[in-house]
Amino acid sequence: MAVRTQFENSTDIGVFSKLTNAYCLTALASSTNFYSVFESELADVIPIVHTTIGGTRIVGRLTAGNRHGLLVPSTTTDQELQHLRNSLPPSVAIQRIEERLSALGNVIACNDYVALVHPDIDRETEEIIADTLKVEVFRQTVASNVLVGSYCALSNQGGLVHPKTSRSELDELSSLLQVPLVAGTVNRGSEVIGAGLVVNDWCAFTGLDTTATEISVIEATFRLQGQTSAAVINEMRDSLIDHYA
Amino acid sequence: MSSVAGLQRIAPVPTSSDFIDIVLNATMRKTPTVIHKNFKISRIRNFYMRKVKFTQDTFDEKLGKIISEFPVLDNLHPFLSSLLNVLYDKNHYKLALGQINTARHLISQVAKDYNRLLKFGDSLYRCKQLKKAALGRMATIMRRQKDPLAYLEQVRQHISRLPAIDPNTRTLLICGYPNVGKSSFVNKITRADVDVQPYAFTTKSLFVGHMDYKYLRWQVIDTPGVLDHPLEEMNTIEMQSITALAHLRSAVLYFMDLSEQCGYTIEAQCKLFHSIKPLFTNKPTILVINKIDIVRLSDLSPENRAFVDTILSDKSVTVVEASTYSEEGVMDVRNVSCDALLAHRVEQKLKGNRIEMVANKIHVAVPQKRDDVERKPFIPDAVKGRVKYDKEDPNRRKLQRDEEQEMELSGMGIYSADTKKDYILADDSWKYDKIPEFLNGKNVADFIDPDIAEKLDALEREEEALQAQGFYDSDESEMLDSDEEEFRDAAQQIEKKKASIKKISQEKNHLQNRPIIPRKKKHVTLSEFTTGMRKSGHDPLVLEKRAARLMDQKKEAWEAAEARDAEASASGDIEMDVDMDGEESRPSKGKPIRTKSGMAVSRAPRSNRQMAGLATVGQSDKANELRDFAQRLPNRLAKASESDRHVPITRPKWMLAGKRKGGKTDRR
Repeated sequence: MAVRTQFENSTDIGVFSKLTNAYCLTALASSTNFYSVFESELADVIPIVHTTIGGTRIVGRLTAGNRHGLLVPSTTTDQELQHLRNSLPPSVAIQRIEERLSALGNVIACNDYVALVHPDIDRETEEIIADTLKVEVFRQTVASNVLVGSYCALSNQGGLVHPKTSRSELDELSSLLQVPLVAGTVNRGSEVIGAGLVVNDWCAFTGLDTTATEISVIEATFRLQGQTSAAVINEMRDSLIDHYA
Repeated sequence: MSSVAGLQRIAPVPTSSDFIDIVLNATMRKTPTVIHKNFKISRIRNFYMRKVKFTQDTFDEKLGKIISEFPVLDNLHPFLSSLLNVLYDKNHYKLALGQINTARHLISQVAKDYNRLLKFGDSLYRCKQLKKAALGRMATIMRRQKDPLAYLEQVRQHISRLPAIDPNTRTLLICGYPNVGKSSFVNKITRADVDVQPYAFTTKSLFVGHMDYKYLRWQVIDTPGVLDHPLEEMNTIEMQSITALAHLRSAVLYFMDLSEQCGYTIEAQCKLFHSIKPLFTNKPTILVINKIDIVRLSDLSPENRAFVDTILSDKSVTVVEASTYSEEGVMDVRNVSCDALLAHRVEQKLKGNRIEMVANKIHVAVPQKRDDVERKPFIPDAVKGRVKYDKEDPNRRKLQRDEEQEMELSGMGIYSADTKKDYILADDSWKYDKIPEFLNGKNVADFIDPDIAEKLDALEREEEALQAQGFYDSDESEMLDSDEEEFRDAAQQIEKKKASIKKISQEKNHLQNRPIIPRKKKHVTLSEFTTGMRKSGHDPLVLEKRAARLMDQKKEAWEAAEARDAEASASGDIEMDVDMDGEESRPSKGKPIRTKSGMAVSRAPRSNRQMAGLATVGQSDKANELRDFAQRLPNRLAKASESDRHVPITRPKWMLAGKRKGGKTDRR
């Protein structure tokens, strides 16, 4: 089920929230509208945590995580760390990383098993990612963009990547990640997938500008409505050709 | 904002009299207005030439804007171009714009002529009359543009009300005889609110509605009804339909009314289809049999059926039956026509080369297995049994947003979310515990790890073990192989060199901003001097001897002075006076007392200079008093002092009594 929402008139909801299979982080806002969108879909299933990271609201871009753990940048304060620790279940490991590329959400894209990281990331950080998130780590680019976290959205069932990713690159990434991948857009043609879409294994939230076609691609790719991702080449093929070409 | 795809927003066109008012007003406001006949003639000429030129410029700008804003029909999409032709008559439109353009040229010509004349104006009066004539002629030219301007304003208003038709998007075009149910169909499948009435030509222009199907946005165009007669005889209303049919790449839905309630026979309807059929080429065509709640295709008499079959004999035409009244088959019509159009468009696009650009977007990359690890999705069981959130459900979950709204509506204050409510702790009562951030000068967060002591112990044990093994002893020297040693040597040399360079430069800058004491004024002790000399290889023996001798002399002189002082204090002042003649004890005036070695000896003053010039004790007391006053300590508490402004009387009588004359009000 994909839900359209926005954060204080911004459709880049991936900047202000982080969604995984075990928890959800949302930015502290002046009203609870944004939080409640997540609450209505996820309450009683996983904890939804109101938080800031290093005093900023761009929690989605600064953190990276999956079911096993959460990585926060060195700018995170002790109080925020304590708040996160108190709010998340004990099965989720929280680790603060001293990494020069401190927008971890932009440089790490991961699901519960595999992570793609920025090619310039520290070797130590890479080890911490592998240990904390319990993933295999690959240094990769997406459509020759180093910010892998910004340009793709992953779950254990599928992944959406930058619309200019070539077919061969798609196949290569898909084999690394071991999930079916589709190239697409969110927010009426935006190529920053990570900013417009947060997704886990059973639901997705997208920016308010996302079109019906984009939503249907997202739902098929991440198997949110019981379809398989093959729908993109079967039922939706004509619509997509007419939409894009 | 464009109201119609391909057409810009056009600014309103003023009437000719408004136009003149606007321009002349602007001239009044924006050019200088003060002129005297005494001014230099060149200045007067310039003044009026500027007015004429400015007026012409303003006309030029405003007319130019009209000409550039109105669309050039030949540059538009063929559909828009011929639609505008049908609605406004291309020739008339072009003529109007042409006239405006001519007026613009005429005005500039007038301005040029009169400016030439103004150059020879010999008085203010003459220049003024020339200006008046120039502006008058420009106004006359504009007044003649009354009709084109009025026409263009009407066109502008009409254009701004045209429906926003995108000629390139997915379009369903609905056509047929008047009153066959075209508009009611559009109302059924879109949210366009087209007027439906039981008489012909209810719809007099194109209407657009939009709908969603198969994740896409579709445009549905309702056209006015068309009658079966030659193209030349068609009126504007019908021509709009024909234009749309001719130029839009769309699916054509030809509506037929078999009940003949519309007032046209089935035969006539079929004939119309055949006569406008040339417009349907290369377009998916669907024959929609409407009003099947009254007559169905199967109910037709054989002769009428034959007419319909002439249409259906063409394999490219699909027939669908529907009734907008009972809504039977309406969705079928929509689905069939949309599918047909989509298939047609996709087929066209696959032929083009743009398809390669989207190839990656209709490709699902399926992973090849690289190991035997199974990567299953992780969906908690709670998700499966979860009731979907529904706003209308009375038993729905109470969200934070609801709480916030409740609080705001009740005016209880500002809501602030409780972030600690959902803490997952061993004991719920701990949630709101206050934990100090700092304790005994230490950051509590640094000690938050419960196992920190054990970990430290483990580390220390490991360290000890390593030390015991001698891990740190030998390693260091062994690691320094020849390469590294060379490297370190080089580094040391560099460091030394750097230090020396730094020292030199520091010394160079050392004295720049300080007073330099010359060497001979510098105090140098004897030992320093002699050691220095010895160092540089000289023998300081002579110097040392001289120094010793001088020392002795000084000592002698001092002893002698001591002895004399003692003597003097024993004999007293009077005796001193007595001895005044003694050559030895009393040196001659002006010559200082000298010892044997020639050094001057200090002596007590002969009189009390403080009392000098003062005759009486009273005078000296007064002098002391004055001295003490002069030497008093500064007023450090900064209380009122003599330098403060002081107004002894606030209301001086001389100022306030009697009549005030000039210069008396300010007493400062």
